[in-house]
Amino acid sequence: MGNVTPTITDILHAEEANLARFRRALRREDQVVLDDLFTAAYRHRAAAAYAGHLLPFETFLLAMQIEDHREVMHLREEIRALHEQLKQVKAGRP
Amino acid sequence: MNEYTGWLLDLYPHPERGLVLWLIGDDGRRRCLRQDFPVTFYAAGPAQRLRDLWIFLQNQPLPIELSRTERRDLMTGATVVLAATLDSPSALPGLFQTLAYHFPDLAFYDADLHVALRHAAVYSTFPFARCHVAADEGDVIHEIKVLDSRWDVDAEAVPLRILTVEPDTDPLHTEPGRILLRTKQGCSALDLKDGGSTLAFLGYLLNRLDPDLILTSHGDTWLLPLLLKLSEQHDRPLPWNRDPDGEIGYRKERSYFAYNQVIYRGGQIHLAGRLHIDIHNTVMYHDYGMDGVLEMARVTSLPIQTAARVSPGTGISAMQIVTALENEILVPLRKEQAERPKTTSELFHEDMGGTVYDPIIGLHDDVGEIDFFSMYPSIMVRFNISPETVGSEKRTVEAVAGLESVVKREELGLIPQTLAPLLEKRFKLKSTLLTLSRLDCRYKNYKARTAAHKWLLVTCFGYLGYKNARFGRIEAHEAVTAFGREVLLRAKESAEELGFRVLHLYVDGMWVQKPGCKTAWDFQPLLDDIKTRTGLPIALEGVYKWVAFLASRSNKKIAVPNRYFGVFQNGEIKTRGIETRRHDTPAFIRETQIEILEMLAKAPDREGLNECLPGIRAVIRDRQNALRLGRVPPEKLIVRQTISRNLEEYRAPVPAFSALQELERAGKSLRPGQTIRLIYTLGSPRARAWDAETDFDPRTVNIPRYCRLLDRAVDAVLEPITGTPGAWLAQAVQLNFDHVPSLVVL
Repeated sequence: MGNVTPTITDILHAEEANLARFRRALRREDQVVLDDLFTAAYRHRAAAAYAGHLLPFETFLLAMQIEDHREVMHLREEIRALHEQLKQVKAGRP
Repeated sequence: MNEYTGWLLDLYPHPERGLVLWLIGDDGRRRCLRQDFPVTFYAAGPAQRLRDLWIFLQNQPLPIELSRTERRDLMTGATVVLAATLDSPSALPGLFQTLAYHFPDLAFYDADLHVALRHAAVYSTFPFARCHVAADEGDVIHEIKVLDSRWDVDAEAVPLRILTVEPDTDPLHTEPGRILLRTKQGCSALDLKDGGSTLAFLGYLLNRLDPDLILTSHGDTWLLPLLLKLSEQHDRPLPWNRDPDGEIGYRKERSYFAYNQVIYRGGQIHLAGRLHIDIHNTVMYHDYGMDGVLEMARVTSLPIQTAARVSPGTGISAMQIVTALENEILVPLRKEQAERPKTTSELFHEDMGGTVYDPIIGLHDDVGEIDFFSMYPSIMVRFNISPETVGSEKRTVEAVAGLESVVKREELGLIPQTLAPLLEKRFKLKSTLLTLSRLDCRYKNYKARTAAHKWLLVTCFGYLGYKNARFGRIEAHEAVTAFGREVLLRAKESAEELGFRVLHLYVDGMWVQKPGCKTAWDFQPLLDDIKTRTGLPIALEGVYKWVAFLASRSNKKIAVPNRYFGVFQNGEIKTRGIETRRHDTPAFIRETQIEILEMLAKAPDREGLNECLPGIRAVIRDRQNALRLGRVPPEKLIVRQTISRNLEEYRAPVPAFSALQELERAGKSLRPGQTIRLIYTLGSPRARAWDAETDFDPRTVNIPRYCRLLDRAVDAVLEPITGTPGAWLAQAVQLNFDHVPSLVVL
């Protein structure tokens, strides 16, 4: 009814299709990484749509960064917790 | 002068009698009254052309009163128009057709309106309105006073006489042999082979019972056309119309494209003086039934026979027309406002829909679902959004940012004026529903009526941006979604500030989670805070024992916004997007999925779900066995698909194409928008049309395909619990052969 501009999902699909040749030339293990990055972008479609950025791909890149950084923060926290455990184990030893 | 009190059954124009009104009197008598009801239409345009029109109308054989006057156009304000008044409302459609041909350059207003809407605007009438009427000896109404309002929550019950007529089988599948008649007094069956006797009895019943409502099954498309043809063959006319001078009204079948799909509307048969409703040709009958149909007629003021067969869009349009007529606003033939030219940047910012999150995939507990009450219509009313109120883009942006009205509340726009009483009525009904037990006699009625309101309100938003709407404007449509996004984001911020985790946002709903929140009271502070921040009514849909948001089938890492299922604390199951909700799911698979969900719903909490699995596996095993051994009746394997194109337009031999071809050969053609029923079969063709043959061979059923569909449906509801797709499968199959050795023999 109202909308004339493509939806954010359409735009993301188009961006993914634009990079099909790039993806094809990547090694298999890197293709998996690229797919994962796009999955991250899919997760933030609502925010990307709300931003209404003229160059939505920039928003998608940021969405990939967010997921990446979240993973980093999560891993940092895990390492911190493991360090903590390790310290306690060491301290507990005679 | 005679005075009558009763219920207005129907009204329609008549070439000689002006307007005909049927009244069900308090004394039980059905009276046919008439009323002089002149109708006026208007034309605007260059002065010279209006002069030409004046002369043209003066030369017409009809008595037409002409004048030059000033009326208000919704968008441009006071407009000089030519007003033409006709004594008889029935003459207007024909005259307007001629005028549209000879004066295509003029803008006509109030020219194609249903006479019932005009009457509603003048006398506040509506179907089944309680009326007090003063009429002379010739039954000409001199005074009519409506005693109740269409916005009353509990209307007095109308003592309707109903005759139900239906064929003994579905005529789309097999040729019926008998018709079944049902009245309050009893029921009987008539043999169609004996046409003369059938007609004689039917004629006797129509005269003796004199029903107000003839409720049929396939009456528009099969039953009444057949009986009318029989009448003609036997030269025995039946008193279908109560009005002896009235004529049966025919409307042709049609297919059209709307809401991204092809929609089919069958032909229609309207009666004069009594009502004919075909439950198979009534829009949304499956959703809200007769109570909803009557409510739709009541709030829209459209005659019941029309209201039953039009889309909710036409209903909301009728309500807007009545508001416009009451306010003496000109009603154009169609929308006249083109979209304001916009830059790409403006389009990117404004041309957006509602906020839809990707939910967090998996099984969750301590979750509350919070919904805004009719969010978009509430926004239109609260922030005064209407085609004429939404002005500059800057003002809209400011209004959205501050959540304030786009223009002063004193100048309430046409759309908010139309919606406010409807929203209020729905709110009252919904509030009462919350206090009623399911066994209360009002429960079903209230539920159906709120469903009818829901469809009207939903389409009202769409009509702001619809090309054929009379009162629409893209900027108003966009303003509504902009307010919607702002409101939802404020609700999200509120939830996060109060320590909730936002699992999902979906246009006007929100799923939030906080450990330990298991009752409605736990969510009350959040509801209060959202109400304060947004000013919009909000309610807790329920607190889930557990809810599962599902992943996409093609990419397990991506969630699907509207595909989830869960169980509320009161045991009620809610499903969206899974097989049980899909129209093309065979009954056998739907029933299996529902049975599994019901077993899961019995678990006291999320932890208890695993204990349900052994029982569920047994059920799946039984279903698989039944399918493999051919014990499932073919009717339960029927797949329903909507035909999207004509037979010759298919490019690939999909199952629907094969089935459609088979139907054509059997002489039963379907039009785009109609539903075809098919069964997947082995070999070629890959599917058989269920309605093409009566002796379907069950041995041809494509069992492996149905097994795959079953597995998929089971997986959808068990994967979030077991954590692995198909985890239940191996064990189920294993058990199958361990415990049913006879199967191996077979």
